Amino acid sequence: MNEKTLLEAVVLAGELMLVSGAEIYRVEDTMNHMLKRSEYEQTETIVYGTGIFVTLSDPNKEPLTRVKRVAARCTSINRICLVNDVSRHFCEGKITVEEALRQLQEIQSPKATQYDWLTQGLGYVGVSAFFAPMFGGSLGDFLAAAAVGVCLAVAAWIGKALKFNDFCFNAFGAFVLAFSAMTICHSYPGLNSDTIIVSAVMPLVPGVTFTTAIRDTLNGDYAAGSARILEAIVVGLAVAFGVGAGLLLARSMEGGLL
Amino acid sequence: MIIQVFSAVWAIAMFSILTETPKKFLPYAAFSGGFAWWAYLVINNLTHSTLQAAFFSILAVAFLSHILARIMKAPVTVFLIAGILPSVPGAGIYRTVYYLIQGDQALSTHYLISTLHTAGAIALAIFITDSVVNLVHLYHEGSHARRN
Repeated sequence: MNEKTLLEAVVLAGELMLVSGAEIYRVEDTMNHMLKRSEYEQTETIVYGTGIFVTLSDPNKEPLTRVKRVAARCTSINRICLVNDVSRHFCEGKITVEEALRQLQEIQSPKATQYDWLTQGLGYVGVSAFFAPMFGGSLGDFLAAAAVGVCLAVAAWIGKALKFNDFCFNAFGAFVLAFSAMTICHSYPGLNSDTIIVSAVMPLVPGVTFTTAIRDTLNGDYAAGSARILEAIVVGLAVAFGVGAGLLLARSMEGGLL
Repeated sequence: MIIQVFSAVWAIAMFSILTETPKKFLPYAAFSGGFAWWAYLVINNLTHSTLQAAFFSILAVAFLSHILARIMKAPVTVFLIAGILPSVPGAGIYRTVYYLIQGDQALSTHYLISTLHTAGAIALAIFITDSVVNLVHLYHEGSHARRN
């Protein structure tokens, strides 16, 4: 087996899982399982929230090491599933290391997303609409949250098209949703603006990241855990900043333009 | 309650689109989320404690996720994330930072503590389930078993 190709495939598998939001122990576990097919005596993997280190060592061979900096991040369960399948097939000996690497590169390509922009927009609208009743909203709140969700979906498309970074993307989305929520509540009194805003920010806020961070910490991955807690705080900051700016603008326009 | 659970199922189905859940698992993910919110509401009615409701409902949904993962041959994460989404403290994090920016320290601290409580309860419930499942693996299949 070509150990260099194996190392390449292992690092790529780890990177794909890490950027897709998998827990650290799962990333390390998957990589270690794939490395069991190596002929080297000792293999070691370290995964942090922002980087991956893999070393293969053997008394009789040159050691091999790869370091990978991981920056981009999003939740993609589909990728976690696909990488899991590739690693499973590879460990069972069903596919060669070259085939595994090729399949992983296919997963990495942006074409692998399975929902088009329209379905994703529907996702934003649905999440903000259906969270409103769960927070005790009325039928009116439900409809208003759906309308705000449409604005959020448009903001998300713009953000993606202009290639905003994470902070700007979240802050911009939050700004648009807060402003549109206040505008709607101003035109239709009787709606609960707090419920509408809280349900509309649900697609943006990092609840799962925060919980995963505590799970990583409980699992003993302290470095990754604290990195993820900080990530959650920064995302929360971006969202709160955007909502604050949106509310401020809406209030200052009251009595004037609106 | 029916309206709440119904909205939870649809909210999680829509959220699963945003988290790129594979199409074939969408109904199961939505079911997992709806079940979690139903359990949360029932336990909250019995105990009047959101903390206990979060802990026990996630304990149940984590076991359900392990069972579903076994049947479907998929990673546990698929069903677990969907299951924790309704009770995860996303709004709490937003409110903590929002009131911090607004300069209202008392409300900010209040939401920070409740966020930490809820996230801690959820994480602990998942951790306990994972540990138990790993022990079962260890005794029944040897230590080579793959963690799902």
